[in-house]
Amino acid sequence: MSEELRVSPIETREAPGKRRFAMVVDTRRCIGCMACQVACKAEYDTPLGVNRTWVPYKVVGKYPNVKKQFLPRLCNHCDDPPCVRNCPVEATYKLEDGGFVLQRYERCIGCRSCMAACPYNARFMLPSHRTYTPITNVVDKCTFCFHRVTQNLVPACVQTCIGRSRIFGDLNDPNSEVSYLVATNATQVLRPEEGTKPHVFYIGADRNATEFPRDAYRQPEVMEQERAAFKRHFDIRGDNHG
Amino acid sequence: MGDYVWFHDVSWHATYAIYFFVIGIVAGLTFLSFLSWHNEALKPIRASSAWGALVLLAIGGLLLIADLSQPLRFLNILNPFYLNFGSPLAWGALNIVSFGIALVVYLFMLRKGDGRGGRWMAGIAALLALGLPIYTGFDLTVHQSRPVWNTPIIPVLFVAMAIASGSAVASLLAGGNAATQATLRQYLLWSTAAVGVMLVSILGTTHHGGSAQELTYLILTTGTMGLIFVGIGIVAGTAAPIALLLAPFGRQQLGVVLAGLLVLAGGAALRYALLMGPQQLQTLY
Repeated sequence: MSEELRVSPIETREAPGKRRFAMVVDTRRCIGCMACQVACKAEYDTPLGVNRTWVPYKVVGKYPNVKKQFLPRLCNHCDDPPCVRNCPVEATYKLEDGGFVLQRYERCIGCRSCMAACPYNARFMLPSHRTYTPITNVVDKCTFCFHRVTQNLVPACVQTCIGRSRIFGDLNDPNSEVSYLVATNATQVLRPEEGTKPHVFYIGADRNATEFPRDAYRQPEVMEQERAAFKRHFDIRGDNHG
Repeated sequence: MGDYVWFHDVSWHATYAIYFFVIGIVAGLTFLSFLSWHNEALKPIRASSAWGALVLLAIGGLLLIADLSQPLRFLNILNPFYLNFGSPLAWGALNIVSFGIALVVYLFMLRKGDGRGGRWMAGIAALLALGLPIYTGFDLTVHQSRPVWNTPIIPVLFVAMAIASGSAVASLLAGGNAATQATLRQYLLWSTAAVGVMLVSILGTTHHGGSAQELTYLILTTGTMGLIFVGIGIVAGTAAPIALLLAPFGRQQLGVVLAGLLVLAGGAALRYALLMGPQQLQTLY
């Protein structure tokens, strides 16, 4: 992207002297082991019922030719993030060097404006009680493992990915693996029409899986029944939701 | 079958819809109190509508604070070192506080019987009150990924709904005053008609949109949400009061009060559906 294409001053893609971290998810290599989800949960003590990263899947095809299509999801660390624009107290901000979209927990008032603004459902409210971590009742999200990256480590989900489906690096560095992958493969981002300039790039993602899922086309009543069943099994967050 | 879909939670719950409803009435009552300085027929409700606005503002403010997951940090939003002026919520917080101060000063002048000062403060309070439905509308409009919310007409719709809801509450406050009720009938009729026109425009645009718009239209018009939005909001709360006010019975005081009650029920339903409906689809993404 040339400098002329950066429409907002917040964007740091190809900005000289700045790093711009990104993740490439090669869905052809994902085997759906969910190790990334587990590693993330372990790294951050993410409570039950919410996720910083998750791996939804669809079963496609017709018997006997069927397969599961995985679409690992996380915060897209957008170059022009709507959550940052919407936070009234600047609790959410974008780091200029690196492009991380981070959260100031001590400042968050819990208005959920950032959650409403995020087109990717990457944000969630932490419950009021947690066993080991004192951060409660504020909005949380994936940080691209900022604390690990600053120690020259890759994010926990990337470290654990057995199929090397997730690759992480500096997109502004022409010699990085992510730069090479983005330059030499046909990549997709989620919901490009939103103009958020996401920095999670997918290789081999099915367009049908990157748009609203098939469930959305079911009868609203059926959808609500399934949602209620889902909540009974997974949602034990207590009083922090409606 | 066999798909693994993660159902996300909606961001804003029904408390916010109640807040929209209450703050709309506050704005409407403040407009009417201001207009009473220019229209003799509204003079009997000048003080009562201003006091009603203050009580409802207190309720709305408490609702807004209670809805935060960190209620005691509501002061952060008034901290100039924290404020993000790109967020409509930040402007809204400043608007509510300045409106509250203006309303209290206005009521103080009314109690003192200061006609000239009261007239000026009524104007300032009404101007700040105009910001309340506009900022709540912008709260929704700025969310680019949400069909229906991301419509420039939403702040204007909220202003029309504020006038309608305020006039409806004022018709209850006016009691048996025939002249006041006749004036309020006009406000009710025209503001509700404006709401109807804008709803048709929003629904038409949404229906003709892409897949997200189409699905949001389906969610808003079918099932329980359809009953709330179309049944109570549009049919019972918008079309029925217009028909009632145009009928001979609608020119009587009881007719105006009845139409006002329908507008209130419709206003509550519309705000709930407009807030919750467009969030449902996103929970599946």
